[in-house]
Amino acid sequence: MNEPKMKHKNRRSKKLLAASAFLLLITQFTLAQNVVRYDLYVRDTLVNFTGKEKRAIAVNGQIPMPTLTFTEGDIAEIYVHNELDEQTSLHWHGLFLPNEEDGVPYLTQMPIEPHTTYVYRFPIIQHGTHWYHSHSGLQEQIGMYGNFVMLKRPDDPTFREGIDDLPTVPVVLSEWTDYKPENVHRMLHNATDWFALQKDAVQSYSEAIRAGHFTTKVKNEWKRMLAMDVSDIYYDKILMNGSSITDLKEIDGEPLKAGDKVRLRVSNGGASSYFWLRYAGGKITVVASDGNDVEPVEVDRLIIAVSETYDIVVTIPTEGTAFEFLATTEDRTNSASIYIGNGIKQLISPLPTLKYFEGMEMMNGMMKMNGDLDDMGMNMSLNQMDMNVVMYQEITGELKEGTEHRMDGKETKKMEGMHDMEEMKDMEGMDHSNPDQYNSNELSEITTLNYAMLRSPTETSLPENSPVRELLFELTGNMNRYVWTLDNKTISESDKILIKKGEILRLVLFNNSMMRHPMHLHGHDFRVLNGQGDYAPLKNIIDIMPMETDTLEFYANVEGDWFFHCHVLYHMMSGMGRVFTYEGQDANPLIPDPKLAQRKFFSDDREFHFMAENDFATNGNDGMAMLQNTRWSFETEWRLGYTNDHGYEVETHLGRYIGKMQWLMPFVGFDWRYRKLGHNEVEENLFGQENTKDSRAQFSLGVAYTLPMLVKLQAEVYQDGNVRVQLMREDIPVSKRLRFAFMANTDMEYMAGFRYILTKNLGLRTHYDSDMGWGIGANLNY
Amino acid sequence: MKTTSKIVVAIIVLLSFTVSEAQIKNETTETVRIYGKCTICKTAIEKAGNIKKEANVNWDKDTKMATLTYNSANTNQEEILKRIALAGYDSDEFLAPDDAYASLPGCCKYERVNKTASNTAAPKMEMYHSGHSTQTVPMETSQETKGLEPVFKAYFAVKDALVKTDGSVASAKAKELLASINAVKMETLETEPHNVWMKVMSGLRQDTERIAGISDVELQREYFMTLSQNMYALIKVSKTETPTYYQFCPMANNGRGANWLSKEKAIKNPYYGAQMLSCGSVQETME
Repeated sequence: MNEPKMKHKNRRSKKLLAASAFLLLITQFTLAQNVVRYDLYVRDTLVNFTGKEKRAIAVNGQIPMPTLTFTEGDIAEIYVHNELDEQTSLHWHGLFLPNEEDGVPYLTQMPIEPHTTYVYRFPIIQHGTHWYHSHSGLQEQIGMYGNFVMLKRPDDPTFREGIDDLPTVPVVLSEWTDYKPENVHRMLHNATDWFALQKDAVQSYSEAIRAGHFTTKVKNEWKRMLAMDVSDIYYDKILMNGSSITDLKEIDGEPLKAGDKVRLRVSNGGASSYFWLRYAGGKITVVASDGNDVEPVEVDRLIIAVSETYDIVVTIPTEGTAFEFLATTEDRTNSASIYIGNGIKQLISPLPTLKYFEGMEMMNGMMKMNGDLDDMGMNMSLNQMDMNVVMYQEITGELKEGTEHRMDGKETKKMEGMHDMEEMKDMEGMDHSNPDQYNSNELSEITTLNYAMLRSPTETSLPENSPVRELLFELTGNMNRYVWTLDNKTISESDKILIKKGEILRLVLFNNSMMRHPMHLHGHDFRVLNGQGDYAPLKNIIDIMPMETDTLEFYANVEGDWFFHCHVLYHMMSGMGRVFTYEGQDANPLIPDPKLAQRKFFSDDREFHFMAENDFATNGNDGMAMLQNTRWSFETEWRLGYTNDHGYEVETHLGRYIGKMQWLMPFVGFDWRYRKLGHNEVEENLFGQENTKDSRAQFSLGVAYTLPMLVKLQAEVYQDGNVRVQLMREDIPVSKRLRFAFMANTDMEYMAGFRYILTKNLGLRTHYDSDMGWGIGANLNY
Repeated sequence: MKTTSKIVVAIIVLLSFTVSEAQIKNETTETVRIYGKCTICKTAIEKAGNIKKEANVNWDKDTKMATLTYNSANTNQEEILKRIALAGYDSDEFLAPDDAYASLPGCCKYERVNKTASNTAAPKMEMYHSGHSTQTVPMETSQETKGLEPVFKAYFAVKDALVKTDGSVASAKAKELLASINAVKMETLETEPHNVWMKVMSGLRQDTERIAGISDVELQREYFMTLSQNMYALIKVSKTETPTYYQFCPMANNGRGANWLSKEKAIKNPYYGAQMLSCGSVQETME
């Protein structure tokens, strides 16, 4: 589709540089400031990334959105022409600007209505690589992301020769799925394993047995965990500047040749994917992060979190060769390449697949029975210790069993280390524990970037006399129900956090959830306290891995309502965030009705998600429908036979999930049943309670609780005093596509069956039901 | 009831119905050069390039030319050549990653004409990553393991005889090996070599006796497989003055593959001799 735009301003000749500096000075004197205007036309479009035409949103006819370039000191004037039939907004990610221009609908402005034009106007008071994206709904997933570059003024004292004057190319990373993002979101909330199936990451029992990890799997389910993974969604395509494969042969008309250095302004515009960045032509030099300069650091690879930006420099080592720059998703299922240079293409090996069961074993060790994580006193922070290395074949050895490989020796050593950790727990401080346990850079010769390696070239310390306030946040959530929160509260369940202008906020973030989260603060940069003292790097995104604790501090200097949230789009939409607001600030004139706005703002994480399935079987119809949000669940199940003696039964429950892990759900229920019993036949339950009615309509009170092994225990009392206790588990992964289910209750009813998954919405099912007998059928689900 | 079961059966039949068609649609055929050397290369190249019903590769060992047949609606030449390059084989479009090339079997190490001089020199670092590399660790001569030196030396003599496919020399050298095995003073060994020695000694002696007792090279080679495995266990825990290479031929032992030890990095196959002298690769380097 769209030709990626690789053009960019750069000032290579010194003469030109001096001239423009002079010119700038002149304009400074004559005109007060230089106004740079962009017109963005937001339109519905059809794209074809996979062979199927799908809806996307293009701006000025392209995906990603055009790169907007300014120079520090300019005034940006951006006209957004919304030609969609829905509302939109644009957020300027990482920019310092007045709160009204921040682009968060219902928080800093009202949404841009369909077929209207909206103007963002703000001064450019910083420099660096940033980006911009829609903050409305899930529009970011389908094309609304682009680079936002602010150049240094040539007379800037921080101008770095050999870096800031290099030929430069913007690179926007993103992913594409043919599924509608709304559907992706719904599927995630219904704990679909379809994405795992697509990624070959189901981690079923038979796969576990083959890998020699049966006990690992059992222990995993005992601790009530679903299959572990590093990403939630399978994507069809990975894009760099809108394309999976790009040739970069020249910059500004000058062909690239051996010895040339190229600066890539990489931003991760993906909705939920982290990417490994690697280069076939040698080391990568990192020169800036989140738009802020850092002392150049050479690495073999780096992972770029969702919404982070990195400026990196690569060198073309030889003539007549183009070197592959490869971005691979963290789950390693997909990648995109740019070939930098002219000639034959030098490839880099793809990253080997993840050793999922090693990862599962690692998670088992870290997870307590109550769902909390236990870092075993390792004080993990700043991505320095990456628990995931146990899954990386290139770091901890190839996936092989029973061979005497050098690497395997290493692994055994590591496992011994794990046991030692238990003993070391008593001792305090990280010096005592084995600091290299999961330290990727110690375990291999591959150098991986981590946050401790970032150092600002200039002092970043904050005003000394300002009061400091410390705020603690626990990143929480559970994968089973796709609930993501801070301190177990969603955005809509919590108040805004009041802060004072002029104070220093120190945020201590502890990730007690099973996924990593890229936390983003609007409108401010924060210092990452990483041991670099006064030269702590400035960022506006920090990726926090499970069990890590990071400390950030920022200076509260611009009034307004500033969003602080996880930048995984689907986590944010589920409510993982907070709003910082300044004490005594003026009302935002762009929000005429704050109450309405707040309700709309909260509606994202209050959304109910629907799912339904039905088994069209030879012995009847079995099915359920469910409407759920963060806390509430409205669920109805049915078993409809074809004859009166098979009976008809519908059970409806309205319940509320309790606790962080949401294993407990009290509910009220209503059961209706009709069945023709034989003459004088009496049904009796385990407790000796009798039931003779053919037709029965009963209210009930009960609780559902998820037991170890993910077995659902349900106990309820009906209005007639009858009691029913039921054990049930669905979706036990027998093999990649085969699921086993069972149910038994004190009414002497039982069921057991298998389901074979054919497609996202279709399966084959066979089961035996005590009421209806054996049946086979097609299982449809939504 | 009956009708529903009929419907279900119909659904199942419909679902399980797959078009069994091996032919490639929208067929396009092209001929391209792919660098490689031997029949192992041919298998590897074709395996990497082929995708059922989508792409078929037929590589000629002598001309180094491959015929690509593919469905132009689904794939293209670039995709096929990229897969082949990632398996370690250069073409005129792609250069294989250095680690992929490095892990090719020895007989497949073709000359990388498309890679320019500075290009091959630069990525030495990359080679280390693959884990098969030779590391220059300062050598320590250990007095304690001197006791095993004659054993190793005699083993290499047996190996050389097998490379030459000379049964009677192999038998003679095996007798020398047996003598040096018997001469080892166990109590002078360090703990680790000592422990291994205890384990492998009887096996070593048995295999060596058998090789010494016959002059049929094929039989000798069979005993040599287990002899080499035991010797590997021993040499792995012993410090030697010069590196020892643990080499592997995937074709020996009826295609199950077999290892041997060598003092030279270059492959000289004791299981096939002149028949397939350079088949194999270095699996591990011990110093």
